[in-house]
Amino acid sequence: MANLRHLLSRWEVGLVAITIVIVVVAQLDGGGLISSYNLQTTSLNNVVLLCLAFGAAPVIMTGDIDISIVGTLSLVGAFTASLWAHDGVGIWVACALGLVLATICGVVNGLLVVLLDLPSLAVTLGTMGAYTGVSFLILKGSAIIEFPSSLVTLGSANVTGTPIPIGVVVLVGLFAVLTYVVHGTQFGRSLFAIGGNRRAALFAGIAVNQVRITAFAISGLFAGLAAVFYLGDYDTAQAGIASDQLLPAITAVILGGVSAYGGTGTIPGVAIAGVLLALLQAALGLHGFSGEGQTIAVGVLLVFAVGGGSLIRSGTFRRLWPGKAPGSSSASAVIDAASTGGG
Amino acid sequence: MSGTPPASSARRALQNYPLLRRSETGLFALILLIAIVAACSLSDFRTATNANEAFNNAAQIAIVAIGETVVILGRQIDLSVGATLGLSAFLVGSAVGHISGPLGPVAGVLMALGLGALLGLGNGLLVNRVRMPAIIATLATLSIYSGLQVIVTNGSQLYVSQVPAWLANLRADSWLGIGPFIWIAFICLVATSFIMRMTRFGRDIYALGSNPEAATYLGIRTGLRTFQAFAFCGALAGLGGLEYTSQYGNVDATAGSGFELTVIAAAVIGGVSLFGGSGTALSAVLGALLLTEIENVLALMRISIFAEQTLEGSAIVLAVAVYAVASRRLRRPLRREQLLAQFEHLAPLIERPPVEVATATRPSNGPALGSSADG
Repeated sequence: MANLRHLLSRWEVGLVAITIVIVVVAQLDGGGLISSYNLQTTSLNNVVLLCLAFGAAPVIMTGDIDISIVGTLSLVGAFTASLWAHDGVGIWVACALGLVLATICGVVNGLLVVLLDLPSLAVTLGTMGAYTGVSFLILKGSAIIEFPSSLVTLGSANVTGTPIPIGVVVLVGLFAVLTYVVHGTQFGRSLFAIGGNRRAALFAGIAVNQVRITAFAISGLFAGLAAVFYLGDYDTAQAGIASDQLLPAITAVILGGVSAYGGTGTIPGVAIAGVLLALLQAALGLHGFSGEGQTIAVGVLLVFAVGGGSLIRSGTFRRLWPGKAPGSSSASAVIDAASTGGG
Repeated sequence: MSGTPPASSARRALQNYPLLRRSETGLFALILLIAIVAACSLSDFRTATNANEAFNNAAQIAIVAIGETVVILGRQIDLSVGATLGLSAFLVGSAVGHISGPLGPVAGVLMALGLGALLGLGNGLLVNRVRMPAIIATLATLSIYSGLQVIVTNGSQLYVSQVPAWLANLRADSWLGIGPFIWIAFICLVATSFIMRMTRFGRDIYALGSNPEAATYLGIRTGLRTFQAFAFCGALAGLGGLEYTSQYGNVDATAGSGFELTVIAAAVIGGVSLFGGSGTALSAVLGALLLTEIENVLALMRISIFAEQTLEGSAIVLAVAVYAVASRRLRRPLRREQLLAQFEHLAPLIERPPVEVATATRPSNGPALGSSADG
């Protein structure tokens, strides 16, 4: 019974429940959300978003934030496309070089934040502008289109004989790797330790600087992968692409149960939150709500999920929720805030 | 001060003239320097039209940046100012069209401030009552407010013809030879500086931003202050919306989107610490001025508009780095020396051997004092 209650109090279970409610309501109301065509389109439209969210999650787990991911995406997209179109480099070599560049972008963020001990929000706000600007310098407002079919296949075709897009399969692979790295390795545990209490992590002998920089590098790498997916899916490279994906990506991470103060959260949670957001938007779209309705719904969902979660944790709802309050109490959040502020 | 180590002449100058130690002074000098160099080398920079245009743009950023600064000083952040600005630009812009006569401007300003404050209170509610981290709460309200903006605009636009004449002409107006936007920004600067320096609200915000826990123990009503800071920021963003309507005439669903990043950039370049507790309204205004100046000079130098974003982004990173390094290099030793000098009469207590302190006398403030002087 205690195990069951523990399981039910998990964040991910709540997300799955909300997802099921959305799917059931959408199905009962008609519109055919669960059809292979709709699911295919929805998943293809959200591969880039989820890829960005996966990358941003480890950084947020350490208590930092990286908002330069869309800048990196734009830069890598422009760089890769330009290498292929103007310099005659093979498309996969260009993609590989793009991923290297993406990792470098992440490391630059990490070095600035960690070694100079600067607030990550300010630094990545600056590098977001800088990276996006460089993508404009590379492409000068023009667009590169008609990529080789191999890249377009990755981005938009299905696995032969099935209705499953290749991009989704690759993303699931990336998800598995990242889940292992974050939840199965010493590096992953260090992420949470640093996010929970940076000073304690340092005293515990964790190479705090190294881990934080690596988290930023992962964030950059995934932004680069998102750029490759973007090129394949939309078959277009332009400066400033996908700049509207930043807030949804961060939303997916937070909705997935990663605390903005760091120290908590899971990669599967982020994945479920991404699926939830994708299905919610698709369902609203099918029922005739255009962009604005969807934006508001995402915002409201974020308020209810995160706000409700923090109310439960802080004990306001404890009488409604018997047993041990799960997760960190608000006291530890205060300590976190104090320790990050003092650092 | 007899115990302090001999300071270098540069450091002594900094010690003796506190004005030199303020980051605003350095920033002001930098702005002046760029202006002088640009005026000497670019003939277009010297024209009155250009100066007016640049100051106008800076004033619009500055107004919202002042509000954002108040929130940041209390160790929060407001990402929803762009959406608040856009919503206010459309709603107030179309509402004042229905009010004729001399009451129009007054009603317009009051409505803009009120709507903004209301939206700001929404943020305060989420941060304070629902206990969401500010960055997440305002991220959510950014979605909600910009969604509302699309709904109220309903796919249409507010055109210049629907905007009353006083508002449409405000941009080109001139009061005592200076544009109204600049006056408004100046008034906001003076009022906010006064509030932050002279009122209990201002001092509480600084205390709250420096150390939230200590502020709570001091009996500061942190919840109330957070509400007020968000409402203040929202009100100024609402006022910024009214100016947006005046400046551009056409207001659509995307008005103000991305403005939050410009505003935060201005505050950061001005030296407002994102960790809270450090910075002034003047810093934000100077940051807005520097940001606009860089943009202006780059445009006049015919540097590709594509390079602008890169240079601005780099400027933000550079500014944060410089402030961080400078404050570590300069302030810490000084603060330590000041602290030591202040508590000089207690020095025997601190210098007593640790064993004796621990066992025999155990003065309650001895170890704490020593650690704070080290930190």
